[in-house]
Amino acid sequence: METSQNHLGAASLDLTQVSSGDEVRVRHLACSPTTCQRLREMGFCENALVTKIRGGADLVCWVCGTRVALSARLAKQILVEHVDGKS
Amino acid sequence: MSQDSPKRWIAVVGNPNAGKSTLFNALTGLRQRVGNYPGVTVEKHTGTAFTLHGEAVELIDLPGMYSMAARSPDEEIAVKVLRGESVGLPKPDAVLCVVDASNLERNLFLVTQVMELGLPVLVALNMVDVAEARGIRLHPDQLSEKLGVAFIPTQAHRGKGLVELRAALGQGLLKPGPRQWTMPPPLAVAVGQIASAWRQSEPSELRAEGKALELLAGSDVGPDGARKLATAWRERFRKEAYDWSASVVHARYEYVRKMLGEAGVGSGKLGGTWTDWIDAVVLHPVAGWAVLVGMMLTLFVSIFSIAAYPMGWIDGAFTWLGGAIQNALPAGMLRDLLIDGILAGVGGVVIFLPQILILFFFLGLLEDSGYLARAAFLLDRVMHRVGLSGKSFIPLLSSYACAIPGIMATRTVEDPKDRLTTILVAPLMSCSARIPVYTTLLAAAVPVALFPVWGKAAAMLGLYVLGTGTAFVLAWLFRKKLLGGGSPPLILELPPYRMPSFQTVSLRMWERAIIFLRRAGTVILALSIVLWFLSSFPNTSDDPTEKLAGSFAGQMGHGLEPILRPLGFDWRIGIGLVASLAAREVFVSTMSIVYHVGGEEEGLVTAMRSAAWPDGALIYTPLTCLALLVFYVYALQCLSTVAVAKRETGGWKWPIFMLLYMTGLAYLAAWLVQGVGRALGFS
Repeated sequence: METSQNHLGAASLDLTQVSSGDEVRVRHLACSPTTCQRLREMGFCENALVTKIRGGADLVCWVCGTRVALSARLAKQILVEHVDGKS
Repeated sequence: MSQDSPKRWIAVVGNPNAGKSTLFNALTGLRQRVGNYPGVTVEKHTGTAFTLHGEAVELIDLPGMYSMAARSPDEEIAVKVLRGESVGLPKPDAVLCVVDASNLERNLFLVTQVMELGLPVLVALNMVDVAEARGIRLHPDQLSEKLGVAFIPTQAHRGKGLVELRAALGQGLLKPGPRQWTMPPPLAVAVGQIASAWRQSEPSELRAEGKALELLAGSDVGPDGARKLATAWRERFRKEAYDWSASVVHARYEYVRKMLGEAGVGSGKLGGTWTDWIDAVVLHPVAGWAVLVGMMLTLFVSIFSIAAYPMGWIDGAFTWLGGAIQNALPAGMLRDLLIDGILAGVGGVVIFLPQILILFFFLGLLEDSGYLARAAFLLDRVMHRVGLSGKSFIPLLSSYACAIPGIMATRTVEDPKDRLTTILVAPLMSCSARIPVYTTLLAAAVPVALFPVWGKAAAMLGLYVLGTGTAFVLAWLFRKKLLGGGSPPLILELPPYRMPSFQTVSLRMWERAIIFLRRAGTVILALSIVLWFLSSFPNTSDDPTEKLAGSFAGQMGHGLEPILRPLGFDWRIGIGLVASLAAREVFVSTMSIVYHVGGEEEGLVTAMRSAAWPDGALIYTPLTCLALLVFYVYALQCLSTVAVAKRETGGWKWPIFMLLYMTGLAYLAAWLVQGVGRALGFS
């Protein structure tokens, strides 16, 4: 699977590249400040654990005990890493 | 508290879909609308609740919010009330935070912000049954001890925990103590300095720090010194590339997670629930669409099949009433007014009540089950192509019931251009007031024998698809070409499914029935009387057709005929179009008066089918009926929609634009249907 090197120096995937059912940790948000802030307020803050429930054109994730739907282009701006270290 | 003391005002706040309105209704006995999707409440509502000791307190039910940094008009309403900046409402004396017990981490994030208002806070730990079913252990006492505010477990929809909540509301609620989350070092210095500039007017350290954070976030309310300091610190953080707002969110979440861990609150399990199983089907890219289309077809078949029975009973009742009046009163103006004016006008519309109630029954099921947010998710791809996000679909779907709540629901849309675009196209979604017009014209277009129930349902679905499809095309045009800018990404919470509440759905149907009947008894009654007068005077002939042609209404219709003739519409249809400018369903009552058919649906359809041009050619050919149907799909024949659009857009510019483009589109489309149909050899 293709990975990217983010400014934090860690090999990261974006959320669209994660398989359904995988639990990942948010590493970095690369969207506009307003969108980033709303994502953080809804639980997608850096270091938060997120489980991808469903992929496709739009995604459904499990974060902070709720299901949140995200458009794929937004999910591409959420850089994550696997909790168990696999990439 | 003594009898003379002023009432306390308590704001009810929380995340969207946490059950605020359900709890508000349970405490006040009121009937604010509730549903199972984020953004049901978009306006503030007040109601009186009584504490266990009989003290009356005023509750303010607020729209849901994820944080105190408002991003949409509905969130702005909530924040303004909490800060005491709302016109017509006093600053709250206390706050009742309603939190979803199955999702404490994110809900308590907001509570930490609300606590910084410095007001007494009480937390209703709502939906404890849902949390426990998901294996979440809750320890309200420990939560109270850790956070420094009282936590009361509740199940608002079952009325559980209300006694304890009323008792807690009656006690002197404690003001939150000092901030419990740890501010990151660079920010702590900035907030400390700004807060010290507030201290002269704000003795509470917690409140002063809260106000300092608001100033940093861009608020301009505060002493000069504090504002200058905030501007300087903001600039410094920008130069140092320090994202202070992100660090605040992290710090709050970190505190909440740690606090929940210390209080022994576990987290729930994911997977294996009803919601997961249903989502596997309804969110599937193929099966999901099949479910959506299947539900819409079921709705329209029900509108024609199930509704036919009660419609027959209402028809029979009006026929009996007409006969009774005919026998009881001598021929004359009073009898004409009662039978040809009032019975024809009001009865002609009231007969459609069962169909409208069936529509609201289905919409109620969708809203209360949690499916509505899934439909928005499914539609997001389509919405994105036209420049909107899936979030705009919820207001558009609400507009199937009525454009007014649909336009109000756009308050949940964060992007102003998205919101305006959604408002502009919402009236193109076929509302319940169009049902009488569609049903009558479909019946007039095709004989019953050739048009089984499923055919009518498919034709009705086609009209809804036409309105919806055009709304999407125009949304693309307005969003991309007129307003500019890209579409915002979708971020939408999908609530767990729940069994729709019979009480909630039937209450919504009851309310709609009352609104519909009140409208029939006021606006439509008044218009029917006026129209009867205009179509009866001056009395130039004993022949009903010539009498109508010579009347005021007939003269007006004849004046309009040159404009309407290219569409295949005669002067009598012209009377109906003008009369229904205020409300679409008035078209049916007007036609009932014009054709002197009392309140009978069949009578009107028969009269329309035999209506002819002077040369003997039929007026209501299938092609003309189709042109008229298309006209009503597009025309903005609703003054209430114009009024609400004016209020929501803050001026007349956009409502006037809406009126002009929809009227122009309706005329053009009807003309095209007639022209293309004739060119293809149809009549």
